[in-house]
Amino acid sequence: MADKAESLVTFIQERCLWQFVSRAPDREENIDGVLTLVGILLTGGVPKLQTPMDRLHFANANHLVTEIKTEFPWITQLGKEELFAVVTGAIKRIHGLTVKNSKNGELHQPLY
Amino acid sequence: MGCSVTQKARSGIINPIFNCQPAGAQYAGIGVKDCIPLVHGGQGCSMFVRLLFAQHFKENFDIASSSLHEEAAVFGGIKRLEAGVDSLVKRYPDLRVIPIITTCSTETIGDDIEGSIRKLQRMLKRDHPGRIVHLVPVHTPSYTGSAVSGYNVAVQAMVTTIAKKGEANGKLNVFTGWVNPGDVTELKHYLTEMGIDATILLDIESFDSPMMPSKDSFTHGSTTVEDIEGSANAAASIALSRYEGYSAAQYLERIFEVPATLTPTPIGIRNTDIMLQQIQKITGKAIPESLVRERGVALDALADLAHMFFADKKVAIYGNPDLVIALAEFCREVELKPVLLLLGDENGGYVKDPRILNLQQNVDYDMEIVCNADLWELEKRIKNKEIELDLIMGHSKGRYIAIDAGIPMVRVGFPTFDRAGVYRNPVIGYKGAMMLGETIANTLFAQMEFKKDREWLLNTW
Amino acid sequence: MPMKLLDCDTLIPEREQHVYIKEAGEDTTQFLPISNAATIPGTLSERGCAFCGAKLVIGGVLKDTIQLIHGPFGCAYDTWHTKRYPSDNDNFQLKYAWSTNVKEKNVVFGAEKLLKLAINEVFDAMPAIKRMFIYTTCSTALIGDDPKAVAKAVIAERPDVDIFVVECPGFAGVSQSKGHHVLNMGWIHEKVGQVEPKITSPYTINFIGDYNIQGDTDVLQRYWHKLGIQVIAHFTGNATYDECRGMHRAQLNVVNCARSAGYIANELKKKYGIPRLDIDSWGFSYMATGLRKVGDYFGIQDKVEELIEEEEDKWKPKLDWYKERLKGKKMAIWTGGPRLWHWTRAVEDDLGVQVVAMASKFGHQEDFEKVIARGREGTVYIDDGNELEFFEVIEMVKPDVIFTGPRVGELVKKLHIPYVNGHAYHNGPYMGFEGFVNLARDFYNAVNSPLWALAGQNIQEGL
Repeated sequence: MADKAESLVTFIQERCLWQFVSRAPDREENIDGVLTLVGILLTGGVPKLQTPMDRLHFANANHLVTEIKTEFPWITQLGKEELFAVVTGAIKRIHGLTVKNSKNGELHQPLY
Repeated sequence: MGCSVTQKARSGIINPIFNCQPAGAQYAGIGVKDCIPLVHGGQGCSMFVRLLFAQHFKENFDIASSSLHEEAAVFGGIKRLEAGVDSLVKRYPDLRVIPIITTCSTETIGDDIEGSIRKLQRMLKRDHPGRIVHLVPVHTPSYTGSAVSGYNVAVQAMVTTIAKKGEANGKLNVFTGWVNPGDVTELKHYLTEMGIDATILLDIESFDSPMMPSKDSFTHGSTTVEDIEGSANAAASIALSRYEGYSAAQYLERIFEVPATLTPTPIGIRNTDIMLQQIQKITGKAIPESLVRERGVALDALADLAHMFFADKKVAIYGNPDLVIALAEFCREVELKPVLLLLGDENGGYVKDPRILNLQQNVDYDMEIVCNADLWELEKRIKNKEIELDLIMGHSKGRYIAIDAGIPMVRVGFPTFDRAGVYRNPVIGYKGAMMLGETIANTLFAQMEFKKDREWLLNTW
Repeated sequence: MPMKLLDCDTLIPEREQHVYIKEAGEDTTQFLPISNAATIPGTLSERGCAFCGAKLVIGGVLKDTIQLIHGPFGCAYDTWHTKRYPSDNDNFQLKYAWSTNVKEKNVVFGAEKLLKLAINEVFDAMPAIKRMFIYTTCSTALIGDDPKAVAKAVIAERPDVDIFVVECPGFAGVSQSKGHHVLNMGWIHEKVGQVEPKITSPYTINFIGDYNIQGDTDVLQRYWHKLGIQVIAHFTGNATYDECRGMHRAQLNVVNCARSAGYIANELKKKYGIPRLDIDSWGFSYMATGLRKVGDYFGIQDKVEELIEEEEDKWKPKLDWYKERLKGKKMAIWTGGPRLWHWTRAVEDDLGVQVVAMASKFGHQEDFEKVIARGREGTVYIDDGNELEFFEVIEMVKPDVIFTGPRVGELVKKLHIPYVNGHAYHNGPYMGFEGFVNLARDFYNAVNSPLWALAGQNIQEGL
């Protein structure tokens, strides 16, 4: 399961820009927002999109899910709990890579 | 009626005719071999100029920056300058000359360049014993003069720093002014034909550099440290430009008693005649028959064009001042009518320039010479219909004026990036006059065909 | 592997922290080049200045605005005839350079009077133009002029004009990047919100970080038009001053160049709650992805799929023709910063090309996070590359083509390596579907020119 989460993380790292926005809080917001939706969409759920940010996360998540399904056919075979574990693992990893352990010194500047 | 000299009335500039002083200083610096100019200021002062040179020559020139950052505004920039010299000397073992070119920022801050150079020379002695690197202070703030004076200041600075009294070498120093490689080729040809041993300052023929199978050919100037050292021991100097390089010749005369002659910029038949006769007088070498023939070929070609296609055609000319004045004189030789000359900086000397006084005395039609001009002075006269032009002669940054007004334009001067290979051709000398004439003619011909304006004239010319 | 000290940098070992060669299993929490740091003087770095980043990159693109440069005239001269951003306003923004023409006496006694005079001269000379940007430069920043006060005074006297002042002297920051930042921040804090745009569609965006190089904006605008999306403001390709004052009314900010204009997108989110959607508008596949994201945001997926199908039908066969012939070719990218991460994966996926070396002039660490995540192993990643490093890297990776500026291109030509203009393109536009085909075409024609083989032959050694 760890390998699977890791391959998903690598895929997301290679393809997505939303995880690399300018500041830590914005990155965290995007990572949580997009990947939570990815989890929902992968289980066939219908996301509730109320705010503009919800719609942004959906915009970043929807096509990504199509790509993930193509790249990782096993993901549609996973049960809900396993999928939850993979996605949660990915969220944690990406937080680590792009926020917590990032060497990017600008992330924590208070102003843009 | 007649030639009047006016001044631009506006204080601001719309479309400057040339760049500021540091750019001219860099143009002088790149003419020297084993030399990397270090521009002491913001990164733009060197980076933009490297781009400008690349646009004109389609070549890369090595120019460094002291990369002034904000703390220099408070603490001064000397540390950056010293670090810059240090980086260059360490990483470029063949480097022999570093012109240190100041800019508006570092002049405003008031960095002590000369003091820094003394310190750097001590550091060099200590850290690189046996290595000689000439550090040349070149003071060229951008809020004075222009690229024209910047070039002049830099040539003089390099000569002042490097020229060294030694044994007389019997050579002729030739201060070319701001010319193109094609001009240097033409000059060298004359000197060879006349059997004269000369030092060309600056020898930029090699700017037109090749792709070689060995992949080791890069672009640089050819004037060596030894050439500049030896300039102090020449038999004489001749300067081809009043505003670009003559000061260095005067310096050599003052300090090393090398007699200096200023000749009118040799564009056109008469100006070339005068230059060759001056050289003959100075060196005692006769003008050979071959050059008389070349002159004849040029005259022959121009005679086909002058009264048929050029007569009464009104021309506007802008660019470096010596170039503009000399082009105006050439135009008059071939019956073109220069009606508007634009001299682009605040140099008060233009109104006393004997060539301009001569135009004022002899021109019998309406001609205006605008001093301290910018290109808006040209554009607005065209837009307001104060002037009707058949031809514009100038550099590529004025191209939209010509394009939008539908006026034929011959690219001449610097930069000429919107036409291919212009820098490879001379404008000086007999060949230059001939090629200028033919380029003007072909430009007018293309316009005739494009506008379907009596283009059938050419059916049987 | 740890950061790389190139041979030519042995005597300036600080450079080691700026050069990285990616290896399997590594990520940017371990190795990330230092970026946006002070330049080492005298290295022949490729960097320009803050004034360049403000005026030449962003401000000067506006098609209806006078760009008055407060300083000696060189800064104006140098940022004139150095870009290829056309407009549908007869290319007004390409034709002029305006300077207050500061002289020595102004440096000594102050230049505010001169500035006021020059502002009025220019508005008088060009009465059809009512908008102006004023930029400070090294000298006018040092002498402590207050151009904002002068601008305010002029606006009071000429109520039909508006003026925006950018304080971006060349020595500010460490590169062009500071100029981007200052202009972005000034604009959002002082000008956005002053004009109410007319809303003509239920879907409104700003397109941020695209400067209409060779018509890029026009390519994208055709897509938005087909999708029925109103672009309130392009920031700043083919844009007007007042369009950019209405940015607060967009529902979504679509960002291409996050480096030069991410700042204003961030501030628009902070101040007006407008979400920031980052896309790549270069790249054949990337363009489709970007359009899909916009489609998902607005719920107009069908229209988007229709557009994508149309574009792919038209352009994919040509792209594939080039892909067949460019597969395996090695490319280097030495540009400002973002094109590194925009292009590295796009050329790999869409053209089978491998990017083997990349150098950024003014990218920040954020740009390196992106490019290293997207880029290949074995590739060299350089922050603030300099000329000797370029030579050494060429020896290491032996690229078939280098996407870089014309001057560096003319340098590598001596090594018989073709270049394609990575800043202003050879034959662009390069954005969008058709743009990537143009890029492929220039790439193909560059590497297949018979001149390289001829250059390598020494006629003294027989044919």
